[in-house]
Amino acid sequence: MVDTATATTTEAVLIFSEELTRIACSGGGIKALATHLAQHIEAAVLVEDAEWRHLALSGATGRTVPASARDLLGKGHTTASGAMHFSLPGNREGIAFPIRAGDSLLGRLSIFPDQTLRETDSAFARLAATSLAIELSREQGGNKNRRKSFWDRLLARAYEDPIEAKDDATSRGITLASGYVAVAIEAEGLDENSATSKHADLRRICLEALRSSSAEIVVVERGSGFVFLCPAPLEVDVANTRTAAGLIPRIASKTLVGAKLVGGVGRYADAIDAARTVEEAREAMFITRRLFGIGRVITHEELGIYPFILRGASSREDWHRLSEHILEKLRSYDAKHQTELIRTLALYFTVGQNVKTAAAELNVHRHTVFYRLRQIAEISGLNLDSPHDQLTLRAAIAIDTLYA
Amino acid sequence: MPNKKNNQAAIDRIRTQAQAAGVRQIRLFFADVLGASKCIVIPLADLDKALNGQVTFDGGSIDGFVRDQEIDMILRPDPSTFALLPRIDGAVPEGRLICDIAMPDGEPFEGCPRTTLRRILDDAAEILPNLRTGIEVEFYLFDALTDDIPRTDDVASYFDVSVSDRGEMARTAIVNALEDMGIAISAAHHEHAPGQHEIDLSATSVLSAADQLFTLRLVAKSVAARFGIHATFMPKPIENSAGSGLHFYFHWGTDRPQHAEPPSPEPTPPDFPLEPSAYALDEQLDLDAQELQAFLHDRHEEPDECLYGVGGLLAHALACTAICNPLVNSYKRLVTAWDAPVYTVWSQRSANALVRLPNTTGSIKLEMRSPDPACNPYLALGVLVASMVDGFRTKQLPGAALIGNTYELTAEEKIERGIRHLPKSLRQALDELAHDTVIRNALGDHIYHAFHDAKIREYEAYRRAVHPWERKTYLRRY
Repeated sequence: MVDTATATTTEAVLIFSEELTRIACSGGGIKALATHLAQHIEAAVLVEDAEWRHLALSGATGRTVPASARDLLGKGHTTASGAMHFSLPGNREGIAFPIRAGDSLLGRLSIFPDQTLRETDSAFARLAATSLAIELSREQGGNKNRRKSFWDRLLARAYEDPIEAKDDATSRGITLASGYVAVAIEAEGLDENSATSKHADLRRICLEALRSSSAEIVVVERGSGFVFLCPAPLEVDVANTRTAAGLIPRIASKTLVGAKLVGGVGRYADAIDAARTVEEAREAMFITRRLFGIGRVITHEELGIYPFILRGASSREDWHRLSEHILEKLRSYDAKHQTELIRTLALYFTVGQNVKTAAAELNVHRHTVFYRLRQIAEISGLNLDSPHDQLTLRAAIAIDTLYA
Repeated sequence: MPNKKNNQAAIDRIRTQAQAAGVRQIRLFFADVLGASKCIVIPLADLDKALNGQVTFDGGSIDGFVRDQEIDMILRPDPSTFALLPRIDGAVPEGRLICDIAMPDGEPFEGCPRTTLRRILDDAAEILPNLRTGIEVEFYLFDALTDDIPRTDDVASYFDVSVSDRGEMARTAIVNALEDMGIAISAAHHEHAPGQHEIDLSATSVLSAADQLFTLRLVAKSVAARFGIHATFMPKPIENSAGSGLHFYFHWGTDRPQHAEPPSPEPTPPDFPLEPSAYALDEQLDLDAQELQAFLHDRHEEPDECLYGVGGLLAHALACTAICNPLVNSYKRLVTAWDAPVYTVWSQRSANALVRLPNTTGSIKLEMRSPDPACNPYLALGVLVASMVDGFRTKQLPGAALIGNTYELTAEEKIERGIRHLPKSLRQALDELAHDTVIRNALGDHIYHAFHDAKIREYEAYRRAVHPWERKTYLRRY
């Protein structure tokens, strides 16, 4: 036998539940759900997300409601159902319900009644919290797509103005760094049976190695590899990203047995120009694979003249810029310290890398030539012992001489 | 802890050595939280008792141990540290053992610096295999201290030889005494300032290196006193002269890690970079081909995981400063002069970088340059090892190596490179230590609080004191 009062309560709960469903289906959203609850139980209703950000407030007219329930909840007590009771002025008691999806806390629904809440009102609030959970889950899924579409637009160079890009990023909940460095990594030789799990392992290994404290790393998946867009607001971040990328093959070799990695690192780019560093990373990876073989991650800058050869520099200005870029550090060192590093380098190549002849031409001891060559290697970051770096330096000297 | 059989073997070995040398007494040394040497003397007959953990002392009498409590703490001598102390003027020879400290129930004492270093090294064993440390220690030898003002008749500088100088004679005697105790010395020379000297200890296990430094300070003072001069490890005894530093070299691994992937066959560099004609010419000039190649090839080709160690040292450098530079006077050395490190910078060659990673073949070698010889060697090495381990665990990278002089860095360069200034005072360093949970956890709560409280008291006493400089500058002007 069901008594009359219970039947009435059950009916009321069912009706309220149907009303919530209708609101949700018609796209009413969080605000409409909060308003419906507030009208139904005649109380103020505050909805906040898991980070205590304000989402909706209803029924506040004529009632005093704090900006956030955060401080009140800290002093309250929690019941077995998860409801949190807290004190309000005038011996009143408020109640808050967690808004959950599975184990994840999405937010909190706080009720500020004029008098002690009836038991049925608590049931209505719990039902409303459930509907809000569905609504918030849906929004977060939407957020994911909205975030992804931002990066798609940025990498497609859809933004012309940095401020526009930053504002759009902020509106989608993205903290945009001032600059980025891209790292492209691909794996070869993964066993087909375990390729999926190893692919996931590679992604994790790379993210751990490239870890960033300033903003999120964006991962672009492509075939058997990834491009990681790493925030690099400062020079130290650029340097660390390059070093970390270089370490990835060695770190991965410990856990991804049999996988052969190859990668490239783009140069620093302002956020608005992020597409460039991504292209450079892929370009560097391509050149690395073709010229240096697998098992290495090389930066675009280290590749010297090869990207220009790959692209086919289109103008004298392009070549001149390349030469200036390669010799820039040596030139400024010469200017600052009144040294002759560029002259020594040019002469060293002119005399067929014959140290004794170069020393005679420069009228210095040959040890001085060695000293200068070591300085050149250290300052330029290029290795005079490497045929690749020699080619870059020879080309830079030749261009510099031709366009002087 | 050695088993009973091994312990008996150690007792027998030590007794035989001691009896052969005519030893009648053994000094049991241990370090307090501040690194000061403490010692209990026992007759040789009680050696068994000592090595079986039956020698106790009142822990309540030692700063930073268990003040205000009468606790009989146990000394646990490490048999591997047995050595004969330098004999003074024909006195009866004495033996020495360095001890860990245990609680009355036999459990290791959390406030024992040597035990703390052991714990940190156990934790580091997997990440930093075969870790060894070499030490360069600088100190002053003064001819006299008049009203605490040091004086030296020495006028020499870097690597100078002054045969008639008492300081040089004393340094030689110190080196000989250390070698007699089984401590390997790799070099000794005159340092930059008049009266300043350096002794370099060969690389050995980290615990042994800490024991050796602990011993060196004691032996140097004792031997110098025989020459009527005063040895001091105070970091900056003279305002306008170089301070005394303590450089730790860390070596680990056996060989430089090999790359996982075989090198690509195509880009293999030639055996020798120069054209044969040039090589032939230089060969005629007695220049070795490998030397030439080293000249040109003197840089890392690819990043090495040891950079995580550098990253860890730089990340925790500010907190480590409190332990590695523990005196108010330490911060008068850490200024932009005499190549003292002041910024969190690493380099391969720069003389004033905090961490140097010289290009070496074989095992990895890394130099930490900020500590000073007044530090507690057990705690200083402990926090530095803990920093490196954390660098590996959290994959902490150090930014780009600096080329050139760190003193010339502009403010903008420092921000861009993520470079921080080392603390400028003991107070600042203690604040940094308070906020670094990795270093605090490495020290353990007992040592952290004992050290912190003692150093706050020291700093406050210094802050309240009116110094001669203040009277000279202000007394007549205001």
